[in-house]
Amino acid sequence: MSTYVLMKILESAPSRYDAGIRMLTLGQIDRIYERIALLVEKDQKVLDIGCGTGALSLRSARRGAFVKGIDVNSEMLEVARRRAKKEDLQNITFEETGIAEMEKEGSDSYDVVMSGLCFSELSKGEIAFTLEEAMRILKPGGKLIIVDEVLAVSLPLRILQLAVRIPLVVITYLLTQTTTHTVKGLAQSLVWSGFQLESSQTYQMGTLIQMVARKPNGE
Amino acid sequence: MESLIYIFINTVETCLRMAPFPAKTGLIRIGNPDRNSPVLLTCNYHLTVQRMKRALRGLDAFLLVANSRGINVWCAATGGLFTNHDAVSVLKTSGIEDLVDHREVILPQLAATGLERKVIKKKTGWKGIWGPVEAMDIKEFLANGETKIESMRQVEFPMVRRFEMAVAWAFLISIFFTAILSAFWKGAIIPVVMLTWGVALLVFLAFPLYEQWLNPKTERVGFVLFDFGRGGFQLILLAVVLVVLVGLSMGPESFDWGFFLRWGIVCSIVILLVSIDLMGSTPVYKSGLHKDRMFTIELDEKRCRGAAFCEQVCPRNCYEVDQEKHLATRPRADLCVQCGACIVQCPFDSLFFKSPKGEIILPESIRKFKLNMMGKRTMNTGDR
Repeated sequence: MSTYVLMKILESAPSRYDAGIRMLTLGQIDRIYERIALLVEKDQKVLDIGCGTGALSLRSARRGAFVKGIDVNSEMLEVARRRAKKEDLQNITFEETGIAEMEKEGSDSYDVVMSGLCFSELSKGEIAFTLEEAMRILKPGGKLIIVDEVLAVSLPLRILQLAVRIPLVVITYLLTQTTTHTVKGLAQSLVWSGFQLESSQTYQMGTLIQMVARKPNGE
Repeated sequence: MESLIYIFINTVETCLRMAPFPAKTGLIRIGNPDRNSPVLLTCNYHLTVQRMKRALRGLDAFLLVANSRGINVWCAATGGLFTNHDAVSVLKTSGIEDLVDHREVILPQLAATGLERKVIKKKTGWKGIWGPVEAMDIKEFLANGETKIESMRQVEFPMVRRFEMAVAWAFLISIFFTAILSAFWKGAIIPVVMLTWGVALLVFLAFPLYEQWLNPKTERVGFVLFDFGRGGFQLILLAVVLVVLVGLSMGPESFDWGFFLRWGIVCSIVILLVSIDLMGSTPVYKSGLHKDRMFTIELDEKRCRGAAFCEQVCPRNCYEVDQEKHLATRPRADLCVQCGACIVQCPFDSLFFKSPKGEIILPESIRKFKLNMMGKRTMNTGDR
């Protein structure tokens, strides 16, 4: 079991996850998450897919929404729970659930489904499945909000992105054992799944994307 | 051509063995599978996927690659990076459910430290079957009606695996030395790299010769001696190298102290680095750097009903189940590598870890956090 040496280092990684993400996004992520939380209203029912250490969930809960955060990483969830407890937030729950395990969420039951830096961790099949589930559990007219890392559109920007990203990824991984990936064709997948894309904004030279889509209001 | 690519991939990825190497997750068709073909699940460590494809050549089957973060099955499952969620996800999202009529998936046995058949069945309806430890046994396993002979359940450390570990360490350490020495002592790079490869090959290929003196229970975790209770293999190795150095330092007129000291220090560092996690580099001992090796696995006989799940998943063949008394026994407990598979799989929660201080780690903690609990895994739970 030789990777145990590596494991030993990775073992404490969840506690360094947030620092890692902040480094990789050069501090942008907090501002984006703050802005997203503004889209959530009091008393709305919110599902945060891949909530990790709770960055988006906690911000939404502070605005008075009823939030459920799901993630597959039990340690990150522990960090998230600890944070919620520290702030004494009663309107938030965290659950160890993967994207393929949402069947117990009722259909048409959420006002908002959100996800920060999670889709880029998924395979194509998983993305399609997740969007299908999101479509099912959202109320008609409900919002889907996604923040993720993408490849820049123009070639010069893409080259610049690589030049900045490669050393950044190495340094961040060495310091915090955290890394991210990019996701492709998200807008297209959203449309295929039946969502109406409302807005799409990019940040940090086109490398971070924020998308807001809506489940169509039934006729 | 295909074989050449396979050899190339094996060489490169063996050199870089210590790093994660993710492969694409999802469904792979082997041959021309139909609606009754077997479905096998594996991790997304690139080399593993390549070897699985190779081992399955000539068969018609579906191979599901689950996300283990680019790490091999055993390490990922034990460290909490290859879990039920990953298995459930690939079963539900890869489209396999539309391609076969049955609901039976062969899981890698070494994933038993992280995957639970019960949970997977409940969440997906798929019935898991523990396959063999080694990919190359899969054909025989399938041909025998999915039954395993004893040797298919056990991890070994044969010559090929020892050679792989020697290469993995030697490559990594060579890079490290080259980077450092190129700054101030370029002339030493080639001899040091050669020394590194020599020592690594010697340490790993000679493993069976000195294995009997290894003591996995020693509490000393420090430098040179930490892997060994009695003696110290590194010291012996160093002594041999130093004798050679003395010989080389003898000039025609005088003894070259500068040469002897310089190379003495370099040799010590090489030997130390190569053997720093000697036991952890083998599948037959727990890492010398990991505290888990001090744990013992305890059996609560009142709970045990002889289900024999432990016997089926133990990669070290520690267990034997007494079929008359319906009770598990551990006649070969000294071979245990504390992987925790038996604890995770026991349907009656009758197995648990105990630390040398008497602290107890219950099955539910292992299932939840695996062997990876932010250093807070032990808890006193009174009189369990």
